[in-house]
Amino acid sequence: MKLFLIFMGAVVVNNFVLSRFLGICPFLGVSKKIETAFSMGIAVTFVMTLSAMASWLIQNYILIPFGLERFLQIVSFILVIASLVQFVEMVIQKTSPALYQALGIYLPLITTNCAILGLALLIALKEYSLIESLAFGFGAGAGFTLAITMMAGIREELQFGDVPKPLEGAAIALIIAGLMSMAFMGFSGLIAM
Amino acid sequence: MAKYMRLIVVLVVISIFSGAVLAQTYKITYPNIKQNALKKQEEAIMKVIPGAAKYKDISKDNLKVFKGLDENGNFKGIAFIAEGGGFGGSIKLMVGLNPEEEVLTGMTVLSHLETPGLGARIEEDWFKEQFKGKSIHDKFVAKQDIDAITGATISSNAVGSIIKNTIEKVYQVYGGEF
Amino acid sequence: MTLLKDLTRGLWRENPIFRLLIGMCPTLAVTNAAINGLAMGLATSFVLICSSIIISLIKNFIPSKVRIPCFIIVIATFVTIADLVLAAFFPDIHAVLGLFVPLIVVNCVILGRAEAFASKNPVHRSIFDALGMSIGFTWALLLISIVREILGMGSVFGINILGKAFTPFLIMVLPPGAFLAMGVLLGIMNTIQDKLATR
Repeated sequence: MKLFLIFMGAVVVNNFVLSRFLGICPFLGVSKKIETAFSMGIAVTFVMTLSAMASWLIQNYILIPFGLERFLQIVSFILVIASLVQFVEMVIQKTSPALYQALGIYLPLITTNCAILGLALLIALKEYSLIESLAFGFGAGAGFTLAITMMAGIREELQFGDVPKPLEGAAIALIIAGLMSMAFMGFSGLIAM
Repeated sequence: MAKYMRLIVVLVVISIFSGAVLAQTYKITYPNIKQNALKKQEEAIMKVIPGAAKYKDISKDNLKVFKGLDENGNFKGIAFIAEGGGFGGSIKLMVGLNPEEEVLTGMTVLSHLETPGLGARIEEDWFKEQFKGKSIHDKFVAKQDIDAITGATISSNAVGSIIKNTIEKVYQVYGGEF
Repeated sequence: MTLLKDLTRGLWRENPIFRLLIGMCPTLAVTNAAINGLAMGLATSFVLICSSIIISLIKNFIPSKVRIPCFIIVIATFVTIADLVLAAFFPDIHAVLGLFVPLIVVNCVILGRAEAFASKNPVHRSIFDALGMSIGFTWALLLISIVREILGMGSVFGINILGKAFTPFLIMVLPPGAFLAMGVLLGIMNTIQDKLATR
């Protein structure tokens, strides 16, 4: 039950993009078409779940036992995420060329996606167990996918709309995100964690 | 091979250098960081136990409890940290209690994640003051024996039930003897 | 002359927030009050300037294959220093910025400048570039946070300026307000840019 609450909390209540402001760059950058947005979402979810596990292991088996968590946390998390992304890229390239074609260009971008580092830091902060961390990471990724796919859906329709010239592109996207964020506020307080 | 060696050497050198610099910075800043946390805790304890000048940590069983003493070491009351879920996230409070009269002597908010302008108003004085002098046998329910914040009944109720639950736990663990 | 150009680039023409749209996460997350926006701007500036200097100094020793991991280590080191120093000497500000201090690491402005400028140019030019970008980033953050604080709380730097008669639009200090304020400001900046360009 707690796992489900953590998962739903990360998907809707504290959506990473719309209420925690993590992962805004890809949210604005790759949300022009539903297909690419969805692929990006899947890639992020995959890396997030993996890095949730990796950062949990580092935090609990290396940083805390040696008393390094206060000053080597940031450096070690970002290095692990960067290597993980590289590793995932290599594995996908070898095992599934089709998937690599679809995700390829997005994978390097994920390293500098602050949602991933944010996730790792939040897991350390909340002192989740390994299973809880996985649920949280997967939920955060699912929430990101939900937000970016919805955004892409709206922006595809918007191409046919009459947007005032100064608001074209990112400006109107931000305003839409504001409205979506308002809608998601309706979920707040649903799960008290 | 020599090419890869160079890559590895450069990375290792930079990592070691970074680690050394950070360890040094940590050594310099750590006393201050620790002191800040202690100072914050001490200020909160003094605020919720009237007449206390110093305190003794008597925490046990995951409960953070402090005994407040005046200049001459006379017992002035206890303070405990109460923590629980609010509307937006965890709320952490410092609560003062007079075990002889079984009333609260004060409450202050240590940290919270409530909505700014609504739930975050639990930090306002009028809200905190109402817990002063409240009997520990009260119900602590918003709109009944607690004045609720307009538009933030959940946050107001959360504060009440966090305090009520923690009082019960403290009495279970310490049995009223401090 | 080149130095002056390096300095002014970040102020408007390549302003990281309003023109390049990078580093948006902290821009949206911590700008609910002017003091937070300013603190975030200054913390980011510290990291940007220090890491630009170091990266520019060591650029010749770093093989290009591992340059990104090296840059990230340098940046992460300065971010941790900023985090520790804030926690030690400015605990109140540290409490408010919270998670977003460590996240300066992944602020694309910093890695972007390291890759695009500091790793290709001498130290003195990198300093001016970093300084310009820092000022550009900070004023943009400050502007957004002032707008949000006035509309959402009726105050600036915690000082009430609109009086009791004004009912604050609470939504502006909540997450949706960040997106709305940024979107509208971006529209205004685009209009200004168009006016400048046609002149």
